[in-house]
Amino acid sequence: MDPTTLIAPSSPLGYPAPYWFLVAFKVLGFTLHMIPMHIWYAGVLLAMLLHWRGGEAGRQLSRRLMQPMPVLIALGINFGIVPLLFTQVAYYKVFYPATILMAWPWVSIILLLTLAYYGVYIYVAGLRAEGAMIARWRRAIGWVTAGLFLLIGFLFSNAFSLMTNVRAWPELWLRESVGGAPLGTALNTEDPTFWPRWLMMFALAWTTTAVFILVDAEWFAHQEGPAYRTTARRVALIISTIGVLGFAFTGSWYVFGTWPEELREKMFQGPMRALTALTALSPGASWLLIFWQWRRGGTRMRAAATAAVHVLALGLNAISRQVVQNAELSRFLDVTAEPVRLQWSPLILFLVLFVLGLGIVAWMLGRLALIGSPSESG
Amino acid sequence: MHYPWWYVPFLTSPMLIAIIAVLHVLVAHYAVGGGFFLAVETQYAYRQNHREYLAYLKEHAWFFILITVVYGAITGVGIWWTIGVASPLATQTLIHIFVFGWAMEYVFFVLEIVSAFIFYYFWGRLDPRTHVRIGWIYAGSAWMSLVLITGITSFMLHSGRWPEERTFWAGFLNPQFVPQVLARTGGAFLLASLYVYLHAAFKAGGSALRDLIAVRSARPALLGSLLIILGGIGWYLTLPESAKAALVAASTLNILVVLLFAVTIAVFFMLYLGPYRHPGWLSPGFAILFFTFGLVAITTGEYIREAVRKPYIIYNVVLGNQIYAEKVPELRRTGYLEGGTWTKAWVSHHYPQVSNNGRIDPARLLALPEDDQVKLGEVLFLHHCNDCHAGRRGFSPVAQLIRGWTPDMVRTVVEHPEKAHFFMPPWAGTPEEAELLTKYLLRIAHPRPAGMYFGEERKP
Repeated sequence: MDPTTLIAPSSPLGYPAPYWFLVAFKVLGFTLHMIPMHIWYAGVLLAMLLHWRGGEAGRQLSRRLMQPMPVLIALGINFGIVPLLFTQVAYYKVFYPATILMAWPWVSIILLLTLAYYGVYIYVAGLRAEGAMIARWRRAIGWVTAGLFLLIGFLFSNAFSLMTNVRAWPELWLRESVGGAPLGTALNTEDPTFWPRWLMMFALAWTTTAVFILVDAEWFAHQEGPAYRTTARRVALIISTIGVLGFAFTGSWYVFGTWPEELREKMFQGPMRALTALTALSPGASWLLIFWQWRRGGTRMRAAATAAVHVLALGLNAISRQVVQNAELSRFLDVTAEPVRLQWSPLILFLVLFVLGLGIVAWMLGRLALIGSPSESG
Repeated sequence: MHYPWWYVPFLTSPMLIAIIAVLHVLVAHYAVGGGFFLAVETQYAYRQNHREYLAYLKEHAWFFILITVVYGAITGVGIWWTIGVASPLATQTLIHIFVFGWAMEYVFFVLEIVSAFIFYYFWGRLDPRTHVRIGWIYAGSAWMSLVLITGITSFMLHSGRWPEERTFWAGFLNPQFVPQVLARTGGAFLLASLYVYLHAAFKAGGSALRDLIAVRSARPALLGSLLIILGGIGWYLTLPESAKAALVAASTLNILVVLLFAVTIAVFFMLYLGPYRHPGWLSPGFAILFFTFGLVAITTGEYIREAVRKPYIIYNVVLGNQIYAEKVPELRRTGYLEGGTWTKAWVSHHYPQVSNNGRIDPARLLALPEDDQVKLGEVLFLHHCNDCHAGRRGFSPVAQLIRGWTPDMVRTVVEHPEKAHFFMPPWAGTPEEAELLTKYLLRIAHPRPAGMYFGEERKP
């Protein structure tokens, strides 16, 4: 079966804004989403490991990692709405079929996320009530939560790799359907790109978590002594090293082991060559900065610079993913070729509210800056 | 019909939307009304320097965050998840019309999250004036997100001038918009008070504090009831005629409307006689009963709101079975199997002999062996009917509904479902395809129940 016959016709409504606008917000939103998402993706597992095998210093670090987790999860879920929204606008022809083919695993993310989120709250409530002697059952919940986040990542990678793996749709569909209606039980695990993509995001998550530990130590760990900051820098370096090595391995596997020849040619030619190289090397920049601070000591400005460099690396990663996604899809459809019926006034109103919203958030954070860190009593 | 149809045995996939939507709505209203409760009451407690009440409010804020920021936010995303897989064409349409409405709502979500966490985590560290302001930022943002999402969901019930003008505002400012905003705002105030009573009945310290909470929260609840009544009247008056007719014609809806009225009146009187006039009545048992009544009222209201839309998902735009309403005449000419992206691919793969120059030839369908015709009838059933009907068993199972029907009766209803029941979508295929579906339905139909007596001679 020709998989292109499964691609829906264009919406008669067209895009409500130019493609570049939609994709810019998609990439921006995904970059913002990745920051907190990475911290819970790798951070919860790391916190459990540190509590288990990290000694006194590790437990202290584990506690500091877990305490802001409820807020980070809330922000991450919220930031995730933007890329999902614009994915559905610009990539609807592949998003809906892919998620319908794996509907049960896709919908199960909601249940898994709810359980994981409450798991984090239960663990953090234990930290506040019981301190370092957190009860065994809460630790067990912490481990389960870490597993749930990994599973959620596994399912997300399945969905988003299946979006571009249009070639696999006919087989997945015909194998698991009744009267032409899919049962929604498919997974994209036979796609060779799936495994390195899933693991690459996990490896990148370790690098982000390392930067977070560093920033937290320099900016927010007022109550902790200098020994804590030294430990934090050492742990950040170890984690960042694991993450960068993992990223290099899975990235090489992905690029050289699974990309078709024409995609490799596209990504290694002309201006794309620079983008590919920067994307591959940029996590190493934050690793170098962490290494430097481990050797020379950290300051607030150094930590902030590391965070800025890392956010740039994540942004590059998001841009490259977008370029690769479009290149993979170009064999089946051209997402840039849809007609545009520009919605001027809602677009302008959105942008005005966006700026106003940022202003109000800045005002609120400004008020907090005057008083310091949050209450520990909550 | 542009996308694969997700087959969920027994339940049907759209029912998953209903389940998650109801679970979400029960908390989403509290997320709005509870925001106002916290802002108003914290302001009051600061002014009165009421330490005990402030301590209670902080505890309530924690409960509020656990319920709304976690459960409410995830089930909200969950609705998106399920509508995308269970109702993809309608979702695609809504997103292409209202993407900036959702984007604006997103801005308010961010404000909600940030302000809610600051309000709670910095309690006692912010000066009272700033703290109350943050509370009001949350309440205002939450209400704005209610307004924005209501503009989109009310459009589904009445698309207003959109089919002619096809602009964002023509769709957003539809006739149902203001009534539904009023009703939902009222629902938010009322439901929030019921959550407060439930929490306070267990957690508020002395009886004086409980009495204070009972009396003060009765006021927004009574105001909420009034807004629900006003909004409800406006909702009814601006309903499309088909929705008004469905309210009267569908037996389930008759019963639910009566239930809704009965429960709403009961809640109103319980509010007045209980917390407002006799605040001492606020015991855990009373609060649980009250809360249950509120949940029943909201759930019933939501079910009615969803059900009266039939046969549309978006009134006059997208039908329940994932077809653009304007495409029906074309599909009746060219065929449903030919018009559906995935149905056409399925038929071409399994029965290439029915294709003629790349198109499915309806005449060739009836030349297939009988079992294959039934199989194609199943394809038609799943894609054309399964959004509302399970097959043999489950939700509104068609095999049970047509027990004892003659082939002519089945054929007539298949060819003209919208005439048999005005809340069913019209047949969107060729006569040959109707024949295939008829054969499938007759194959799965159960026989007429035995032993029924109508004055005729009993058969052995």
